[in-house]
Amino acid sequence: MKFMLTAAVAIASLTAAALPTYADKLDDIIASGTLRCAVVLDFPPMGSRDASNTPVGFDVDTCNDLAAVLGVTAEIVETPFPDRIPALISGRVDVGVASTSDTLERAKTVGFSIPYFAFEMVVLTKDGLGIADYESLKGKKVGSTSGTYEAIALEQSVAEWADPAGSFRSYQTQADVMLALNQGQIDATVVTSTVAGSTIASGNFPGFIMGGKAPYEIDYVGLITLRNEQGLINYLNLFVNQQIRTGRYAELYAKWIGEGEPPNLTVPGVYY
Amino acid sequence: MFNYTFHWRPAIQALPQMLGGAVVTLQIAVISMIIGILIGVVLAVMSGSSSKILRGIAGTWIEIARNTPALFQIYMAYFGLGQFGIHLDSFVALLSGIAFNNAGYLAETFRGGLRAVPATQVRAARSLGFGPISAFRLIVLPQMFRAVFYPMTNQMVWAILMTSLGVVVGLNSDLTGVTQELNVKTFRTFEYFAIAAVLYYLIAKAVTLGARAFAYRLFRY
Repeated sequence: MKFMLTAAVAIASLTAAALPTYADKLDDIIASGTLRCAVVLDFPPMGSRDASNTPVGFDVDTCNDLAAVLGVTAEIVETPFPDRIPALISGRVDVGVASTSDTLERAKTVGFSIPYFAFEMVVLTKDGLGIADYESLKGKKVGSTSGTYEAIALEQSVAEWADPAGSFRSYQTQADVMLALNQGQIDATVVTSTVAGSTIASGNFPGFIMGGKAPYEIDYVGLITLRNEQGLINYLNLFVNQQIRTGRYAELYAKWIGEGEPPNLTVPGVYY
Repeated sequence: MFNYTFHWRPAIQALPQMLGGAVVTLQIAVISMIIGILIGVVLAVMSGSSSKILRGIAGTWIEIARNTPALFQIYMAYFGLGQFGIHLDSFVALLSGIAFNNAGYLAETFRGGLRAVPATQVRAARSLGFGPISAFRLIVLPQMFRAVFYPMTNQMVWAILMTSLGVVVGLNSDLTGVTQELNVKTFRTFEYFAIAAVLYYLIAKAVTLGARAFAYRLFRY
């Protein structure tokens, strides 16, 4: 009896060792049939809600495309900018399609795909405040959305200028930044050219004008997932590559941002 | 599965910055409590007065302060007043929001405390030659504060925790603001939030213990 038991245990453990027990995130997504994407929905035209409250935008379509090639259904999980990583780490989402800037600091924590979009930053201000370019923000009250590339860069500029009259505020949502700018709590903000364009075009804020380009490096954004999910990151890289190769990237750009050449996603003179 | 490796070293390096945030948090809580106590006493007296108008004003304040979320009150102080061109700084908006909330809650606590002081005490004081104001100040108030001291400590702890709502009005110098800034720069959410939680706990605990020592000195029979 004792021998039988030992043999049973031995056989069981051998079988367990022989079977592949490790399923990675890519397997999990395919098996579950659902791809959960973290998307920021107050960041038009990348993500927002339409009149019937359905999520729409460049990021939403990108998530849908990714789900389609994986053969699963897409689930859009609305995630504010500062909550993207907690959502990922705690397993509420599988992938972040949320215009995440690929800084080296963040890459210590999350895994980035190759860039799937790139932003240029512009100053957004109100008519009559005398702000014409980035330098004239010196000594002004400025603010931006907590957790964004432009917020980090703008705060750094304010710290470097060290003008006692100047201040920096970070708000939790893009909508609060626009509200603060409209009410005069801040004099200017720095946003992506896409946000500036769609905010001015919306007509909700008469008096908003562009105040010139912000002299930041181009803000390349990647898809994000857990840092150790190398299999999924490989898949995301190929997915981004295929989006551009097949012309889908240009198609989505024309649909959401407008006419013109979509941003070049390669950096000259270097391999990724 | 919890897929995360903790990086404590950079988090500990940010500790001085976070302690700076903790000081701002404590500042806001203390100032908002002082304002809250002053207004709270006035409101408590007003709600016990025979004038209908005074009772109405106090009642409205207390009703709004106690029956709406603190988040909403702070948001209104910043964006609500901003709509009318009154621009409070983030710090001031948070401070006034919490002070408004404190005053409403404390007024009710004080009303209970005032009831605990027998009316005969005032009559006795008046017959000994105290004027109405000095009878209230020297006889009623000290006894009221003895009765409500521990509920007041409670409100102080609550005020400390409410300061974390400052992020919605763009405050980035208090403990939560500093934590959030570090978080978005590095994405090391759990380390920074864990440290912030410990700091909040320590501040609240220190206040409770300090209040107990204070009460032992002040209110011993």
